[in-house]
Amino acid sequence: MVDPLLRVPQPTAAELAAEGVSVRFQGLAALSEVNLTLLRGEIVGLIGPNGAGKTTLINCLTGFQRPTTGRVALAREDTAGWNPARFRKAGVARTFQAGRLFRDMTVAENVEVTGVGLGLDRKSAHSVAMEVLDWLGIADKAARTAGTLDYTDERRVGIARALVLPPAFILMDEPAAGMSDSEGEDLVGLVTSIPTKFGCGVLIIEHNMRVIMNVSHRLYVLDGGRTVAQGTPAEVQANPAVISAYLGADV
Amino acid sequence: MKIPLPARFRTPVLLMAGLTLLVALATAIGSEQLNFTLTEMLIRMIVVIGLYMFVGNSGIMSFGHIGFMGIGAYVTAWATLAPEWKQVMLQGLPAFLQEHTYPFPVAVLASGLVAAGVALILGAAIMRLNGLAASIATFAFLAIVYSVYSNWESVTGGTSSVIGIPTVVGPWTAVAFACLAVVAAYAFQVSRYGLMLRASRDDEVAAQSSSVDIVRVRLVAFVCSAFLVGMGGALYAHFLGVLTTDAFYLALSFVTLSMLVVGGIGSLTGAVAGTLAVTLIVEILRACERGFALGGAQISLPRGSQEIGLGLALALVLIFRPAGISRSREL
Repeated sequence: MVDPLLRVPQPTAAELAAEGVSVRFQGLAALSEVNLTLLRGEIVGLIGPNGAGKTTLINCLTGFQRPTTGRVALAREDTAGWNPARFRKAGVARTFQAGRLFRDMTVAENVEVTGVGLGLDRKSAHSVAMEVLDWLGIADKAARTAGTLDYTDERRVGIARALVLPPAFILMDEPAAGMSDSEGEDLVGLVTSIPTKFGCGVLIIEHNMRVIMNVSHRLYVLDGGRTVAQGTPAEVQANPAVISAYLGADV
Repeated sequence: MKIPLPARFRTPVLLMAGLTLLVALATAIGSEQLNFTLTEMLIRMIVVIGLYMFVGNSGIMSFGHIGFMGIGAYVTAWATLAPEWKQVMLQGLPAFLQEHTYPFPVAVLASGLVAAGVALILGAAIMRLNGLAASIATFAFLAIVYSVYSNWESVTGGTSSVIGIPTVVGPWTAVAFACLAVVAAYAFQVSRYGLMLRASRDDEVAAQSSSVDIVRVRLVAFVCSAFLVGMGGALYAHFLGVLTTDAFYLALSFVTLSMLVVGGIGSLTGAVAGTLAVTLIVEILRACERGFALGGAQISLPRGSQEIGLGLALALVLIFRPAGISRSREL
């Protein structure tokens, strides 16, 4: 018998890129000419004040928002016309700021959906789901109804759902939002081991500056829909544009 | 974690055992009136289970399923009526229907298949719409089926009744099909498609990011549920022996939707429990309409109390127990 996992094609893409992406909502520019590259195996931070366009950029990179101009390329291939399901099949996964769990389903079922959606039968989907839940330390809550979870566990389920059948890239929209400092640091600690454990590239939006500077290999800073800085944490912290634009005039 | 076998099949086994027991008890009593009521209830249950299969798992309300029931009922009439009848009453039928009679099992299967075929074409168009728009489109479908069947006289007899359909369905046949419906609906809800569909019901956006093809899983459910409902329509035809287009319109749509809502939209147990509960309410009110003697005085409720009572029951359940009497959980 062939292992059912082998029947699901593994994502091979090594690079996800936004190339000159602009998004306008009825004349209002949410993103203007943004370039971003995410490679497999690295952790890239995406920071900027509220309304800078960070979530819009993640929406573009996962098929939820079509760029007005510019393009999103996966392994150099144009993704025009792809829907979110196709992005996930090609190896681009995401989490949501609002959690967005399947509230009336169990934790295990929440995670199984991805496996099944990618072509596994229910039994194989269940076993891969349990592996990921175990890694995230919530396997004991597998039978709980997702709607009854607390905030921290909800985020973990969202991450588990994205990590099933490891994607090539995982894009995380404020995974630690609303958590206490220590809970957030625990979670982000887990995030740092994703590239080695699952072999994927991580793009992460996070507001805690100390945390994001520690975990990111590189950073992009958005403000008003434009990239105002990019580089290593040290370079970004030293960039005067970041200090004035992101941290405010009084710093 | 491997789920032990009995727990996995607990819900359908309990439901089927309960229904079979009910029929065994009722036939032992042997009242003709009771058998009639019970058979009608079991046929409606098949329709409600079919409705649940789509509505419960997808979260999209359908007002059009009674259209599939009517389609199924007329298919079996075309297939099983005596050729002499059809040559007089239904002159527009094609030769393979007009000149032949098909056995009951073939006719019932054909009813399901034709309803499923119509659902495939309809669904391919409307499953792309968002939930509310899709619901309204199903209502439009019901109105279209009703108009076409009421006016296509050479094939449906128009507004006059089609009579002479062999009345071969009693409580035991009905309960056998009801059990089949329970098994089919349960198998669907625990399948890959059932899981993906329930995910899209809870959160459409997250389901897409979990690689769920929402239009496709909705369409699969719509077609399977139309198949069950179409078979239910065929059984109804073979239970009454008489068909009119009015039987498959608003009144029956209201009753079957009430059954699903009262029982709990989100579970198979709810579909079954709701059918039982609403039938009980309707029968009690119907008895009160006929009147009863109380201390020498004859008391009876005015006509129409049935509908009012059912409406009240529906409103009360929605207010006090919005997930239905089953709380949308399984046994």
